Amino acid sequence: MKRLFDRYRQYQQLPPEEVSRELIARRDEQRAGEVVFVPELDLARTAWHEPPHPEAVNAATFALRRRMNAYPDPGAREVRELAAARHGVEPAQVAVGHGAAELLQEACGELLTGGGELLVAWPGWRPLPELAQRAGGTAVPVPVDSGIDALADRVGADTRAVALCSPNDPTGATVARADVRALCERVGERVWVLLDEAFADFLEPGEDSAGLVAELPNLLVFRTFAKAHAMAGFRIGYVLAPAELAERLTPSFSVNAPAQAAAAWALELGDPVVAGRRAAAAHERDRLGRALQGTSLSFAPSAAPFVWLSSDSHDAEAIAAHLRIRRIAVAPGERWGDDRHVRITLRDSAATDRLIAALRELG
Amino acid sequence: MARNDPTDTGGLFIGRRPGTARVHYAEEPEPGTPGRQRLDRGIAAFVLLVETLVCLTLWGPQPAAWLWVGSQVDYHAGSVTLGIAVAFAGMIATLMLTLMLAVRIDAIWKVLRRAGGIDQREGALPRIFAVTAIVAALAFGFWFLILEGPAPSLAPQ
Repeated sequence: MKRLFDRYRQYQQLPPEEVSRELIARRDEQRAGEVVFVPELDLARTAWHEPPHPEAVNAATFALRRRMNAYPDPGAREVRELAAARHGVEPAQVAVGHGAAELLQEACGELLTGGGELLVAWPGWRPLPELAQRAGGTAVPVPVDSGIDALADRVGADTRAVALCSPNDPTGATVARADVRALCERVGERVWVLLDEAFADFLEPGEDSAGLVAELPNLLVFRTFAKAHAMAGFRIGYVLAPAELAERLTPSFSVNAPAQAAAAWALELGDPVVAGRRAAAAHERDRLGRALQGTSLSFAPSAAPFVWLSSDSHDAEAIAAHLRIRRIAVAPGERWGDDRHVRITLRDSAATDRLIAALRELG
Repeated sequence: MARNDPTDTGGLFIGRRPGTARVHYAEEPEPGTPGRQRLDRGIAAFVLLVETLVCLTLWGPQPAAWLWVGSQVDYHAGSVTLGIAVAFAGMIATLMLTLMLAVRIDAIWKVLRRAGGIDQREGALPRIFAVTAIVAALAFGFWFLILEGPAPSLAPQ
C-alpha cells in the first residue's frame, strides 16, 4: 500500500514557496556579492534638508490659485508689517527682496558706489567679497578670531561698510547683541554695519540683534527664509534698515505672490516649526560633539546647523577626502582660505550616525 | 510550441501567460508502464465522475435536504424565521464542506492524470462547478416551468 501511495505522491506538485526557495537563495547569494550602493550624503550645503512646512506650501498654493492674474503686492505690505512687528521696527524700515543674498547685493551696490572698502569679518559668508567687487568696491577680509574689535580697529577713511554674520557662516560663532551695538557705535554713523542674520532663527528667541535697527542709525540686518524655514526655493528674505535706505533697497520688481504668502505664514505661524528645527539642530550638534570626544577632531561652539570642524592630525583636504570616499560631501575650508577646517552641515539623526562613523575611522 | 514562450504575451510585463507555469516536482517522476498509465487514466475518469456528482449535490439534494430540515424546525419550534435561518446556515456549512471535499478530489484527479502520462496543470473543479450550476439551473427551470408549472397564485385558474 505504501508503495502505491509513494508512486502517486511523486506526481504531487511542489507548492510555490518550495519552488521559489532555491531561486530566493540564489538571489540572496547574488545580492550578497554585489557592491553595496551607498547614497551620497550632502553635508556641504546649508539650506535646511527637509521641505517647507506643509502649511507654508498651502499658503503659497492658495496664492497661486487666487491672484496669479494680477501683479503681486509691490511693497510686500503683509510681510513687511509682520516682520516689523516681530523685530520692533517700523514697516517702513523693512525691505523685502528675493532672498537675503539679493538684498546684500543691493546694499553693496548702494553703499559702495564709486568705490570704497567693505570690511568683511573673515571667515564669513563666502560670496560677500565678490558682491563688493561687483558693486565697484573693495572687499577687505578681516580675521575676527580675537573678537570683532579687530573690525572696528581696521576702519579707515575709505571704509564704507563693515559686514559680519551671526551665527557666522562657516564657523557658527555668534556675535552678542552688546557687541553689535558696540561695533555700530565705534565705527560711527559714517560707516554702515551689515549684519547677516541668515541663521538667526537657530538662536534662542531674543538673542538676535535685529531689534537694534530701531536704535542704531547705521545698522542693517539681513534675514532669510531659506534656512530655518526651509524655503530656499521661494527666494525671499528681508532687510531691516533705516527707512530711507530700506526704500532704496526694495527691488524694483516685487517678490512673487506665492513667496510672499509663504513668508507671511512663516512669520505669523511658523515659530513652533522653527523651534523644532532649532532643537533638532542642537541635538545633532551635541551628539556629534559627544561622539568626537577623545578623538583628534573637534569644533568650536556653534549656534548654526553646521560645525566648523578641525583635526589635530589632519588638514582640511585630508578630512574632506576621507569623507568624500565615504560619499559624504562637506565644504572644505580652503574655500575660505583655511586649510585646517571643514564646514559640515548637520541633518537628521541617520546622517549624523553616518558622519560619526566616518569621522571615527579618521580618529 | 513552448507554452512559456515570452513572445506569447506580446512581451508585455510578464514572461509567460498566467496559468502556464510548468509543474514542478520534488524529483522527476518515474513514468509507469503503458498499461499502468491506462489504468490511471481510467481511475482519473472515475474520480472526475465522483467529483461531478459531489458538485451536483450542491444544486439539488443539499438545498432540498436543508429546506426539509428547516421545515421540521419550523414545525417543531413554531418559528418560520428560525426554520429559514437553520436552512440557510446549514446550506452554507455543507457548501463549504463540499467544496473542501471537491478540492481534495480535484487534487487526486490531477495526480492520477499525471500518473496516466498527461501533463495536467490545471484542476477541473472550476469548470465542473460552473457546468453543474448551469445544468442544475436548466433542470430546475424545466421542472419549475414545464413539469410543475408556476405557483397557484400566479397560474391561470
